[in-house]
Amino acid sequence: MAKQIRIFFVTDIHGSNLCYRKYLNALKVYNVDVGILLGDLTGKVMIPLVEKAGGGWETTLMGAHTEVTTLEELDKLKKTIEMMGYYWIHMVRDEFLCYRDNPKEVDRIFNQLMLERLKFWIDMADERLKGTSYKVYMAPGNDDHFEVDKIIEDSAIIVNCNNKNVMVGDHEMITFSWANPTPWNTPREKPDEELEPMLEELVAKVKDKSNAIFNFHAPPYGYALDLAPELTKDLVQAADRKIHVGSRAVAKIIEKYQPLIGLHGHIHESRGAQKLKRTLILNPGSEYSEGILKGAMIVLEKGKVKDYVFTSG
Amino acid sequence: MAEQMTFARKASGLVRGLSFIDAFGVGFMNQGLTPSMWVMITLGLGVYTGGNLIIATVLSALLCGIGFPLVWGILGGSMPRSGGEYIYNSRILHPLIGIAESFGNAFVWIMWIYVLAPWTIDPGLVMLFQFLGMPEAAEFLTTPIAVFLISSLVSFIALLFVVFGVKVFATVQKVVMALGIIGCAIILLVLTFTSRDTFMQAWNNLAVQYGSLTYDQFLIGARTAIEEAGDILPTTWNWFDTLGVMVAGSWLFAYSYCITFIAGEVKRPDKTIILANLSAILVPAAFMLWLAIALYRTVGFEFLSATAWMDNMGEAIAGYTFPWSTHFVGLAAVVTQNKLILFLMALSFILFNLWWVALSYLAFPRILFAWGMDRMGPKWFADIDYRWASPVKNHILCFILGEIGIAIYAFRGNPMEGLSVTGLEIVSVFGVTAIAAALFPFSKKARKIWESSPYRSWKILGIPVVTIGAIVNLIYLAILFYFFIVMPDLEGLTIGSLILYAVVWGLGIIWYFYWKRRNRQVGVDVDMTFGELPPD
Repeated sequence: MAKQIRIFFVTDIHGSNLCYRKYLNALKVYNVDVGILLGDLTGKVMIPLVEKAGGGWETTLMGAHTEVTTLEELDKLKKTIEMMGYYWIHMVRDEFLCYRDNPKEVDRIFNQLMLERLKFWIDMADERLKGTSYKVYMAPGNDDHFEVDKIIEDSAIIVNCNNKNVMVGDHEMITFSWANPTPWNTPREKPDEELEPMLEELVAKVKDKSNAIFNFHAPPYGYALDLAPELTKDLVQAADRKIHVGSRAVAKIIEKYQPLIGLHGHIHESRGAQKLKRTLILNPGSEYSEGILKGAMIVLEKGKVKDYVFTSG
Repeated sequence: MAEQMTFARKASGLVRGLSFIDAFGVGFMNQGLTPSMWVMITLGLGVYTGGNLIIATVLSALLCGIGFPLVWGILGGSMPRSGGEYIYNSRILHPLIGIAESFGNAFVWIMWIYVLAPWTIDPGLVMLFQFLGMPEAAEFLTTPIAVFLISSLVSFIALLFVVFGVKVFATVQKVVMALGIIGCAIILLVLTFTSRDTFMQAWNNLAVQYGSLTYDQFLIGARTAIEEAGDILPTTWNWFDTLGVMVAGSWLFAYSYCITFIAGEVKRPDKTIILANLSAILVPAAFMLWLAIALYRTVGFEFLSATAWMDNMGEAIAGYTFPWSTHFVGLAAVVTQNKLILFLMALSFILFNLWWVALSYLAFPRILFAWGMDRMGPKWFADIDYRWASPVKNHILCFILGEIGIAIYAFRGNPMEGLSVTGLEIVSVFGVTAIAAALFPFSKKARKIWESSPYRSWKILGIPVVTIGAIVNLIYLAILFYFFIVMPDLEGLTIGSLILYAVVWGLGIIWYFYWKRRNRQVGVDVDMTFGELPPD
């Protein structure tokens, strides 16, 4: 008889140190067998801590001008920045002005900081999870640069499940990090027409499709997991309109093969679960910038989803 | 403009979009301008007849203006998620308290449908038909079956405004707010530009027309009727009654808190929530102050108290035969017989009242949705209809529970029961959340949240401002609760209400333990899923 498998699924922590540490600890706290951390893994904002002429540092955090004077305050500020998934960097004023006028150089530093933090995460997992029985999977999302894959691959403990078929208990799991086009032109996005053959190729690796887990970063179009506020031309969300923004290719593939379960992310504000024919689709949502780890615990037993619970901690 | 010292890369994500005006709109509409003025005068001054509306308004605005923005604004700005106080109380105090309190609040939102859908009919539509010279229609609307059927229709219309998503809701809200404010401003202008002599003359002319009591006869009749009821009609104000009026006055000052239901969507939540809360208190306060000054000047202190008492008691003064009651809108209707003006004045009352019902449909399903997400309720609580992006099943449940409430109100209701809901809210929602706010800076459970709060450095004499705000808020709530308990017209209701609160909290506690046990079977400790996960 197939034994029960308890999965803890998290997505879109976007560089938040606090959320990542909570994720690692949650495996023990929630007493699960398998941890799945789906992208996006890397952060979006870099905060320059600019030295002031008379001493102290200044920056802009959450739109507010922020100043600190002592090293203790500076340490606290750095921790807050890291908790929010942002990256900090020391600069003198001339450097800041130079970076401000040089977007390419900003991109280079950004990339360096993102990869450094991810490397730090992988090392932390290797150290903390060594000798434990947890099976831990990780994969990038559409916001993550391609260098991310290599860093995950280097882990001794974490398995990079991106674009692979791996076993989760008795269930095959395939993972797909790409998304349909976003207004931000992110590293891993393509039109649905191009995503569909990529997905078909991936699904072809699965033997028992009805018992499989489809771990696809983008949610299927037209269901409850892909509702996001409509954007204005300036990419600001409109106050009162929600629209479907998921992938039509993902929807088509799930409708066609009807796996046991679909794990999704991408749309942070669309936390929820829904039945898509026989498939349970889930998006745990994300509140990484406040240090809140949103997740979903899923219990699989006898080839069925026995239960699931959304978590927030 | 301050220099932006931030670098952002191209990555998917959104900028929060609800503006200060949007947030203010939600808070302001939940203060229910015109019907809340009616509540303050008829259910407040009508009971505490020696109350001074000007002083009660200034005190309420001061205490609420300090307490509510600091409590709800700081909690909302520190935890800017759309879910109301459930999030704060479960994180700062305990999940059990969070759920029990939230259970009480869900019940309160249903109670609002129970009270407010019928109020749209009587006094709302009733006053409209009375003003328009259609007494038969007005009379019909006061029958229990009419109250039930038309209140059900009102509840259904309110449901339709919300169930099709926030777009429809926001569009209609703008129209309702504009028409409601225009109607209210007309009432105030009519009373402001009428002298005492003109008002007395208009009253006496109507008295002749309807064979009713003149201004002076009405005062004599009121004094007699109040004496027969074992009280006296005061000729001047006193502190006790002024504080008592604040219970009913809370309808106008204490309800902007529902901005926190959209806290996850507002721009610059650290500033917007707190300022929108404050503005949604100060604007109604300005309107109420204007009304109070205009009424005392035009109608007179003693006469206003007498009309409020009569409106609260029903047809209690022998010989009074005006086609409408003596509420403050009715007093404005004494002065003008212009049908369009009368229509707009009554419409203001009806629209604000209707929107309260719509706000119940906004809040109640969101509360259930939050429980469903935390598995503190059945899975279908968290179902979202993919066509309209709204929790349709929760809306339908809200409608059904509202219908039960409307039926009870229509066939055995008492307008004063509206105040018993206020009592429940004071204890079960505002009180608990104020305690959570007071403890927020000192709570170990919420330490990380406090450390990243933009308000952690806000201190006066070393005391966190949120704690000071909570203490001011608790002082206000203590005043309300004391005068709610001793309110003469609520004698029977008070005991009943207290039992009801205990039952609701008891049910909330049972609900919590049921779902805690249910989740444990799946292997999840809800205390852990509610609380802060330890990072190490």
